[in-house]
Amino acid sequence: MDNSIALLSRQSGLLEAAQVISNNIANASTPGYKAEGTIFSEHVAAAGSNNPSLSMGHLTAHSTDFTSGSLKKTDAPFDLAIDGAGFFKLNTAEGPRLTRAGAFSLDAEGMLVDMSGNPVVDEGGSAVEIPPDASTVSVARDGTISVDGELFGNIGVFEPVGEPVRAGNNYWEAPEGDRPVETVSVLQGFVEQSNVSPVAEFANLIMAQRLFEAGQTLTEQEHSRLTSLVEAIRQG
Amino acid sequence: MDALRTAASGMAAQQTRVDVIANNIANMSTTAYAPRTAVFADLIYRQEVAPGAISSTTGTVVPTGIQLGLGVRTAAVSMDIQQGSLELTGQDLDLAVEGKGFFEIELPSGERAFTRDGKFELDPDGQMVTPAGFALADGITVPNDVRQVEISADGEVYAYFNDAVDGQSIGNITLVSFVNQKGLEALGGNLYRQTTASGEPTTGQPGQDGLGFVQQGYLEASSVNVVGEISELIEAQRGYEMNSKVLSAADEMYSAATRIR
Repeated sequence: MDNSIALLSRQSGLLEAAQVISNNIANASTPGYKAEGTIFSEHVAAAGSNNPSLSMGHLTAHSTDFTSGSLKKTDAPFDLAIDGAGFFKLNTAEGPRLTRAGAFSLDAEGMLVDMSGNPVVDEGGSAVEIPPDASTVSVARDGTISVDGELFGNIGVFEPVGEPVRAGNNYWEAPEGDRPVETVSVLQGFVEQSNVSPVAEFANLIMAQRLFEAGQTLTEQEHSRLTSLVEAIRQG
Repeated sequence: MDALRTAASGMAAQQTRVDVIANNIANMSTTAYAPRTAVFADLIYRQEVAPGAISSTTGTVVPTGIQLGLGVRTAAVSMDIQQGSLELTGQDLDLAVEGKGFFEIELPSGERAFTRDGKFELDPDGQMVTPAGFALADGITVPNDVRQVEISADGEVYAYFNDAVDGQSIGNITLVSFVNQKGLEALGGNLYRQTTASGEPTTGQPGQDGLGFVQQGYLEASSVNVVGEISELIEAQRGYEMNSKVLSAADEMYSAATRIR
């Protein structure tokens, strides 16, 4: 029966892998989305001195592809994209969150906010407030904001200390805190697209599907083998 | 069964995108139309193994953990008010704003609405009204015996009476601006209404504080970029197909699972 159990963990892992792939494809148009990968590892059980070891493949971890997505030109003054590493930082009710989705706008008070209305912060961690009578706002490559040609402030770009955790809504949480990046490279009038590669995801999906079916076939064969064995014992 | 729901959320998101694009393309010739864009965000994650969870007694931690995403949602359909190109019409009461200003319109209910569509006509009383008959809030009334109306770039309206050589000022047109134009609520008929997100309107003379000058005899064209919209449409259509493909793949996996005896 051991082989069926080994298969079972593999099968449930493959279902989870399909879930990860479908989430990637569902987010192929989400700005700043980073594709996820799955890592299977071997889990060894019952490796006694005389017993043959039984290894079970199971899903242990996720990897995140942090490469930059393509940039879409929008020409909107508050659409910002980070070229290279780093995240924008937002002050939310749940605490600071990082994001690569730079489709920002102003709120009624002139504060730079994201789509959920959470303020975007500058290097010092305070909200960016654009004066209401500003006619042109430009953001330089190094994150410097100028309003009508006058130096005004900057956009903060941060990197997490340790691994960031996905928090949904295009947000990432940095449980171990964050620090400003050394070289900031911000582009105004662009929004970073999702870095999901549909072709690669489909190849993975088909593979997961076929492996799953192979597993099912094996389970069925194992079932009929055991049935005939039981049958043979009974008649014998 | 998460993969089915995730793929369905992807299909719904792409459907929303197609709806938004269809509306943009339909309005490619609408005066001063501002194109909309659907913006998406990933849904919450189910934390199976949290990153940073302790994996042994010696204090080693799981570096990435297992987080299963549950799909996508539409975070916003944002309006992008851009300066459209100006089309020459030669009509006295056609006005275009070169800047971020809006005309203020008085609705029949007394409420105020705002528009960038500067197509004005005169009603039977000589009042400047929109094609729907709503009055310009500045209350410009052009008397009957006027042969020509001139509107200066800063909004001053001059009437040239039949019996006079020089023009006479009969009022001026003001413009309003909002801190967050994207926060305006579209009412249809090219009209917008202020919301708590847009902030209070600031009234000013055309040409000041970035409001932009007024151009008589021109109308602002729609700022829809048709080529861009079509390529977006193709992208959305393919995105929809991909999600439906995932749906059927997930379905096959689950049907294989139900075959186990």
